[in-house]
Amino acid sequence: MLRYSLKRFIQMAVVLVIYATLVWFIFYAMPGDVTMKFIGNPKIKPEAIQKMRVQFGLDKPVYIQYALFMKSLFTGNLGISFNHYPRTVWSIIAERWPRTVTLFLTAIVLYYAVGFYLGKVIAWRRGGVADYTATVGGIMLWTVFTPWWCLLLIWFFAFKLDWFPLGQFVTPKVWMLAPVGSNFVFTRMLATGLFGPLAILVGWWGLRKVVHDSRTRKWLNWGVTAGILAISLLVWANSGLGKYALDILWHMGVPLIALLTIGFAGSMLLMRDSMLETINEDYILTARAKGLPERVIRDHHAARTALLPVATSFVLAIAFALNGAVIIESVFSWPGIGRTLVNAVATQDYPLAVGAYTFLGLFALIAHFAADILYAVLDPRISYKRGEGA
Amino acid sequence: MWKVRVKLTAKSLRANWGMFAHSKLGPIGLFLIVFFLLFGLVHPLYLVYRGSDKIYDPVVGFAYDLLPEGNPHPPTLSHPLGTDILGRDILGQLMHSTAKAFMLGLIAAGFGVLISTLVGSIAAYFGGFIDSVFMRLADVVMLFPLIAFLVALSAAIEITLFKLAIILAILMGFGGTTIILKSQALTVKVKPFIEAARVSGGGHFRIILSHIIPNVLPLSFLYMMFGVTTAIFSEAILSYLGFLNVRMSLGIMIYTANDSGYLIGSRLGTYWYLWLPPGLIISLLCAGFYFVGRGLDEVVNPRLRER
Amino acid sequence: MALLEVSNLTMHYTTRVGDVMAVDSVDFTLERGRALGLVGESGCGKTSIAMTILKLLPENARILGGQIRFDGVDLVPLSEDQMRKYRWDHISMVFQAAMNSLNPVYTVGDQILEAIQHHMPMKERVARKRIAELFNLVGLDPAVMDQYPHEYSGGMKQRAVIAMALSCDPSIIIADEPTTALDVIVQDRILKQIDKIREELNMGMIYISHDIAVIAEVSDRIGVMYAGKMVEFADTHTIFKSPVHPYTYALMSTFPSVKGDKRELVELPGEPPNLIEPPLGCRFHPRCPRATAVCQEQEPVFTEVTNEHFCACWNQRS
Repeated sequence: MLRYSLKRFIQMAVVLVIYATLVWFIFYAMPGDVTMKFIGNPKIKPEAIQKMRVQFGLDKPVYIQYALFMKSLFTGNLGISFNHYPRTVWSIIAERWPRTVTLFLTAIVLYYAVGFYLGKVIAWRRGGVADYTATVGGIMLWTVFTPWWCLLLIWFFAFKLDWFPLGQFVTPKVWMLAPVGSNFVFTRMLATGLFGPLAILVGWWGLRKVVHDSRTRKWLNWGVTAGILAISLLVWANSGLGKYALDILWHMGVPLIALLTIGFAGSMLLMRDSMLETINEDYILTARAKGLPERVIRDHHAARTALLPVATSFVLAIAFALNGAVIIESVFSWPGIGRTLVNAVATQDYPLAVGAYTFLGLFALIAHFAADILYAVLDPRISYKRGEGA
Repeated sequence: MWKVRVKLTAKSLRANWGMFAHSKLGPIGLFLIVFFLLFGLVHPLYLVYRGSDKIYDPVVGFAYDLLPEGNPHPPTLSHPLGTDILGRDILGQLMHSTAKAFMLGLIAAGFGVLISTLVGSIAAYFGGFIDSVFMRLADVVMLFPLIAFLVALSAAIEITLFKLAIILAILMGFGGTTIILKSQALTVKVKPFIEAARVSGGGHFRIILSHIIPNVLPLSFLYMMFGVTTAIFSEAILSYLGFLNVRMSLGIMIYTANDSGYLIGSRLGTYWYLWLPPGLIISLLCAGFYFVGRGLDEVVNPRLRER
Repeated sequence: MALLEVSNLTMHYTTRVGDVMAVDSVDFTLERGRALGLVGESGCGKTSIAMTILKLLPENARILGGQIRFDGVDLVPLSEDQMRKYRWDHISMVFQAAMNSLNPVYTVGDQILEAIQHHMPMKERVARKRIAELFNLVGLDPAVMDQYPHEYSGGMKQRAVIAMALSCDPSIIIADEPTTALDVIVQDRILKQIDKIREELNMGMIYISHDIAVIAEVSDRIGVMYAGKMVEFADTHTIFKSPVHPYTYALMSTFPSVKGDKRELVELPGEPPNLIEPPLGCRFHPRCPRATAVCQEQEPVFTEVTNEHFCACWNQRS
């Protein structure tokens, strides 16, 4: 298992280098450089432009530029933003990424849960009206033009029904007297969102080792889950930051609805296809022969194996959420990395644009790596590198 | 010899058509595609019908006939979907842009699939180093989140519709589809008749062209459909964000409306005709091609078929 | 009363191209503690019978008639819920290609545990002890209980699947080609093991195989199947020494006996018939060396030839 992880890690590192090289090539090695946009500007003298070129190292030979780029990239120096001078690109990204991650992680978890459940049920029923409507409806939503659909949802939920706010991620009135910045709340929310389930999983794993009787263990599992949820809620309520978190959640409403409707079809269809393949396996027949009830066969045997491709696609979905981030954040004015990228490009803030894009790529890479590891964990056949036992 | 080939192809086409027509989504998709194809093609006729180019040109027209009321104007008889901010007939714009979207989609996806078919077949056939290189390349290309990449790219260069088509073709050509098509090519490559062909003196490229590629083509065609969806979608997003240098497209229509503030708050409802029709067409077009792709999937991938 | 009495059982599958008459008016019985062998070519319906007994049929299959009396209770009209009580607990099965019978993501022990806990709930510790006993019975080291299927060899998987079939103390085990995928030596060992277990536990067994040698070794009585119909049914000795149906005779002749008279090796021309449109009259008549006019018109009736020896043929050998 460890050997496999290491192998994949090295492969990823190689890909990262190639990726960074390509990024550099496309953005920096093109004819014309950063200073081009200042040439027509009468307020900036040619000597100043030349000085700029020296500062940016653009007068040095190409391969030195490349080396410098790679060095600064790997030391985390992404430059200084033009528009937000003198803030560094890194500080801007660090400020904004929790917002993106919170929104999209929540969305992905939600629509995967929905898709998983629907796909499982539909595949088991095999055909019928439910299958047809869910499939057609789901795909139509999947291919819908995102901004258009989001506009529709905004109009409906935020305007017509007035349930949710019209955009942004915070209500200025609520936050005016806040003791902490929004980022603080975001990171805490993320922490809860990540460590809460992690704690629950650890609890389950621990119980599995200690308590051997599966029936009592099931009750204890639920107890652990409820307990950790209760603790999280209590901590939030007590910290006084509760209402800020709620405000953020309120603003996440329509974007989440948008992401949920668009995204569920993908995992649903994947789960359905995966289930349909699994259903034909012999061990499903054996399970039936054992006299197990239908639901147990469906959930415990079929779904568990069918889950494998879905689980990996989940992690990959995180990578592709970055695509979605650019679009969704623009429509909803949600100031995360996606919107940062779009704004940076629109205002020609070159370092910020490249920095944001590199960050997205890195994120995608890590997600891919995590997906591979996850698949190996879930499927005991893969991590077991040796051949079959005697 | 070729007569036999044509006959065989015709026969398998007829059988496959039966399966396709029975698939759940295929026929719907086909209907959508044909509908919008006609919609786009009808534009010149529409202009002729309307008569005045000065009023109805999708890019430089102006609704003189609606003066003194301002623009944008809600739907009327002379302008069934109203006019946009610059006084241009929206229905005409839609037709014109739909045709453009078709062209972009088909060209970009067509060339993209051409590349991935060739690359996949070559990689499968030669194996070894060439195979690894292309597969690694595909891994890296797949890594680039497409939209984010296009957005970032427009900071570096100015993207026109033509350039977009090329970029999309390259990305789709060397990306994930290649891996899939390579697997398909591999299933042919390992068949004994390939060995036989080689032994009897067939040159490498001749074998690839006449044996391997025909077997990959059905799958290529399938993925071309998904490619068109991606292309149309990407173009629309890029225009919507204002990064595409094109004078008129479905995405631009929404961008123009947004940029001038007509989509804020309650205006979303009042000026529905500025954004609802173009967005709807984009969605339906993408859905259409995707449905056809799924329908073809059932033909090509027998496991998904009903018993 | 026999443990299992199958009478006039008929089952068909509906496909896009027609109805496949997979099992047609089949009769046989199984006594407690005895082994019955079902032998025949691929597609003759022997596996279908097994599936029908357990009612593990796919959606396009239907039992058209007949009875399956297990300990006096007819299983045919039972609902799926009622049937589940019988499955595994009273009648269990070892499937063809045992390799795939085990779910790869759970340990072998867990999968057997699942069966036990469903039918005879007990404390997990007790259940694990039982599994260990079963493993010993089939010749597996109990320590491998917590390993995954892919860590087992083919022979080990086969034994594990047998252990799983035994786990709920069934009265009947149906073994479908239990040794086909194994090499000859392991095959022999497992067959002997199965037979020993059957004797020890006084279980009923139904062996299904196309390999007469295997069937001969383990069965007390043999049913010969052809094209969905049972053509002969008798004890093993009779089947080998004095088969009366031409098909049985041909089957026996396909392996020469080391002692005994020299027999000419009969070759069966042709192929088994299409079960969607089987031949009129006797289904074997196109390939039968003894076929006459009546064989082409009327289906022969399954009748008793001598004591406990049944056959369906118009022109039986004597």
